[in-house]
Amino acid sequence: MSSLYPRLLEDPAHYFDAPYDAGYTLSRKQLDEVHLAGLQKRFHELAPAIATLGALAEEQGIREIRQIDDVVPLLFPHTVYKSYPLSIIERGEFDRLTRWLSGLTTSDLSQVDARGIDCIDDWIALLDKSTDVRVLHTFGTSGKLSFIPRSEKLWQQQVRLTGHCLRDWNGANSGPDLIRNHMPMVIPSYRHGAGSIHRGMNRMVDLFAGGSDNALFLYEKEYFSADVASLAGRLRAAEARGEQGQLALSPSLLARRDEFARREAERPARMQLFFEQVMDRFAGQDVFLFAVWPILYEWAEAGLGRGIKNVFGPNSILTTGGGSKGRVLPDNYREQIWEFLGFSRFFEYYSMSEIIPSCPRCDAGHFHIPPTLVPFVLDPESGKPLPRSGTQTGRFALMDLMADNYWGGLITGDEVTLSGWDQPCACGRHGPYLHSTIRRFSEKQGGDDKINCAGAPEAHDKAIEYLLQRTE
Amino acid sequence: MAEKIWRIPLVIRGEVIDECDTPFGGRRGGVSFVTPDVRRYMDRLTLDRPSQMADLYQIGFDDIVDYLARLGERLHPDTNPHMQESFELARLTSGLSDSVLRHHYEWIPFFFRPDVSRETAERLVGIANLEGWVEQVSEVNPALRVRVRAFGARCVHVIAGNVPTVASGTIFRNAITRSDAIIKTPSNDPLTAVALARTMVEMDPDHPITKHVSVAYWKGGDETVESALYQPRQVEKIVAWGGFDSIRHITRYLQPGIDLITLDPKHSASIIGAEAFADETTMRHVARRLALDIGVMNQEGCVNARVIYVQSGTDAEGLARLNRFGKMTFDALQGLPASISTAHKAFDPSLKEEIDGLRFAGDEFRVFGGKSNEGAIIVSQHDAPVDFSRMLACRVGNLVPIDDLETAALSVSAYTQTIGIYPESLKEMLRDRLAYQGAQRFVSLGGAGTLFGTGAPQDGIEPVRRMCKWIVDEEADPALLESLATGEAIQA
Repeated sequence: MSSLYPRLLEDPAHYFDAPYDAGYTLSRKQLDEVHLAGLQKRFHELAPAIATLGALAEEQGIREIRQIDDVVPLLFPHTVYKSYPLSIIERGEFDRLTRWLSGLTTSDLSQVDARGIDCIDDWIALLDKSTDVRVLHTFGTSGKLSFIPRSEKLWQQQVRLTGHCLRDWNGANSGPDLIRNHMPMVIPSYRHGAGSIHRGMNRMVDLFAGGSDNALFLYEKEYFSADVASLAGRLRAAEARGEQGQLALSPSLLARRDEFARREAERPARMQLFFEQVMDRFAGQDVFLFAVWPILYEWAEAGLGRGIKNVFGPNSILTTGGGSKGRVLPDNYREQIWEFLGFSRFFEYYSMSEIIPSCPRCDAGHFHIPPTLVPFVLDPESGKPLPRSGTQTGRFALMDLMADNYWGGLITGDEVTLSGWDQPCACGRHGPYLHSTIRRFSEKQGGDDKINCAGAPEAHDKAIEYLLQRTE
Repeated sequence: MAEKIWRIPLVIRGEVIDECDTPFGGRRGGVSFVTPDVRRYMDRLTLDRPSQMADLYQIGFDDIVDYLARLGERLHPDTNPHMQESFELARLTSGLSDSVLRHHYEWIPFFFRPDVSRETAERLVGIANLEGWVEQVSEVNPALRVRVRAFGARCVHVIAGNVPTVASGTIFRNAITRSDAIIKTPSNDPLTAVALARTMVEMDPDHPITKHVSVAYWKGGDETVESALYQPRQVEKIVAWGGFDSIRHITRYLQPGIDLITLDPKHSASIIGAEAFADETTMRHVARRLALDIGVMNQEGCVNARVIYVQSGTDAEGLARLNRFGKMTFDALQGLPASISTAHKAFDPSLKEEIDGLRFAGDEFRVFGGKSNEGAIIVSQHDAPVDFSRMLACRVGNLVPIDDLETAALSVSAYTQTIGIYPESLKEMLRDRLAYQGAQRFVSLGGAGTLFGTGAPQDGIEPVRRMCKWIVDEEADPALLESLATGEAIQA
């Protein structure tokens, strides 16, 4: 375990093969050295190879990283990965989208011929086929998808890291080693897609479940469509731009919206069927369950209502996250879920699509930042880094040292409070951690009841979207 | 220093109520204020007997003009402590920087000058219509004499707070139409309307115009207040500015007998023809005028240009032209006088994130400025605006190259208010086309927010005419009416 420090110093990627818990035992001095060495390594490798990073370094006059904070002017705003114009997609000019993405990665996209491609799903499939990039798209809650050019190798490593976290989070080998001892996987979601959840799925099925026979998905064959995910945003943009946008909505896309709507309409029946299959195949067994709270509560409510409880084996694992997605859950929703599931071992994370490792939550309620993620708290006004000491509140920024075919430096839209530089957490882990008070900066601005005559008809559009969803 | 708690008194029909005990905290600019609890004064706030409008008809239009002139003389922020206080508060709550805000406060007296009052009233309603019964001549049916007069109405004004002149304009419109106003102030300018009303009370507490103005703050959407207020028994019209949410709240109370006049949220644009590139001097001239439309009032208004379509061409040469023009526009924006425009004091951080992102969008956009709060000109390198075009504010404009003016025309929608156009000939050529596309006002480029006219329709409607009740008196020949009763109709 003591060997982790020199190995991380050599290459942050060694964390992929290390005991996960050892990452939270480094001394402050060791951590600083790992961070600085990692930043220097990535800067030297990537600045000459990624056009946008090179240009930024040039503009900032930065030729080398001498200390950790030197990298701050080189962190990308989180809007970078959605900085392409939406009209590219509306007009089906995917060669432009390829060119845009190629400015953000070291991977060679020059052989990608996007002629004839007219939707995002096909473009992603083309990249899958002809490059080492397995693009990840976000879900576009702000109306536009981000595309992150993560390599196949990094995806493999990311899934291994998840396995190691489950195994070692509470001490080396304290948890199940899914990579060696497979568990059935139960996933009430899609198996296929290019969202961050879906990208990991096939690899998890192989690595954790030992193959498709030992995994059950709500949607085993259907593909989670990036085009459908972006549709809401595109409708909004069409509204804003008048007829230009309206004309750009192709019939094929509208046809797929109908398909999506049908799928949504059939979802309760599918969920029922899925749940029956779960009971038939995996009742009483230890399983690896991957689901968000509202769905689990939906199951628990229905199941407990019919007197079903303790469905799975006591050594099962749940990984979960996300909020309640607008649904109001009762205060004791977790107790109800545990009663129904028959186990209460679960992992919760602070995470985002743009970064490879997640930050697991400890018993003290803190999200622990792994050693290969260099955290910064920035002054929200000046953008300058706050000291790496004490407890700091501000804008969260980070450098993901594991990313090696794109630049992992990112300024997030989250306001966080970070501690752990000087003293270990109550849970005993060393190194920086985030308090649970994380919120979006965009939620914080301005007072209410403020009226200007200049306004975006955002709310109109939200209503229209809602209407579209409801009438289908 | 302890945070100041601002007092926002309630003014009801000539009486100032300063028992402020209801707090509203955490408003824009970190401002907290206290007001009287308007719910306790609902019965006095509303005018449930229409006969109480009679006093407004004891005075003539000359009296109204005289009253407004006397009021205007008292409104200068240098000499009026209420206006001073409202300026001080607005410095915190407004999106305008001090120099721009000051400029707008200093302009308020202008709108009350007798010549301005008369011309505005004449243009917006017609003084004769306000002052008496106006004969409607008919050659088709000379036997029927029709007379029309514009009467005031009992009206609630839910006003916007981006510029203080919305408050002063509301007071003015209420006076010339002989209406009764309950003004609901916004949290981004809670005090200007109060300052005006207090000045009126101090100047002439018993004057009918003073007696027909009330100013109150309550939180928009407060059901207790609004369900009691919006009753046809006591309110005939609602003038609602801006915010979709506030208008949506109000629509819940609409019923027969209540007329809603909405001045919706809008955005404005510009269209610049190829003539702008005639030579270097012309380019610079047009860039300066465009900078005015983007920068005036720090782009806090609905009239400000945001997306600018430029007929530069979209080939390499056209883009090079447009990029140079973008740089010129940015420089002109930085050079605007401080009374017109300054760097924004509270640059929208979400907008900043979007602009920061564009720097990494390869060859899709060029950005001039946008490093801090100085404003920015974003030049699209294809003929489409940025995807966040509706967030554009704080002096950020987006130039979009086009080959064909039709691309610009198609971008205009019912949400488009003003379009600044260069040159004039292009305005004449496009205005009909753009009008049925949805645009509501055309100006010479540079005039979107800088020309103080004396009144014209607003947002495609005539709100002041609609504030009036248009009452008809029809008079027929007695013999004709007799003949209708007996069936011996006389041939007309």
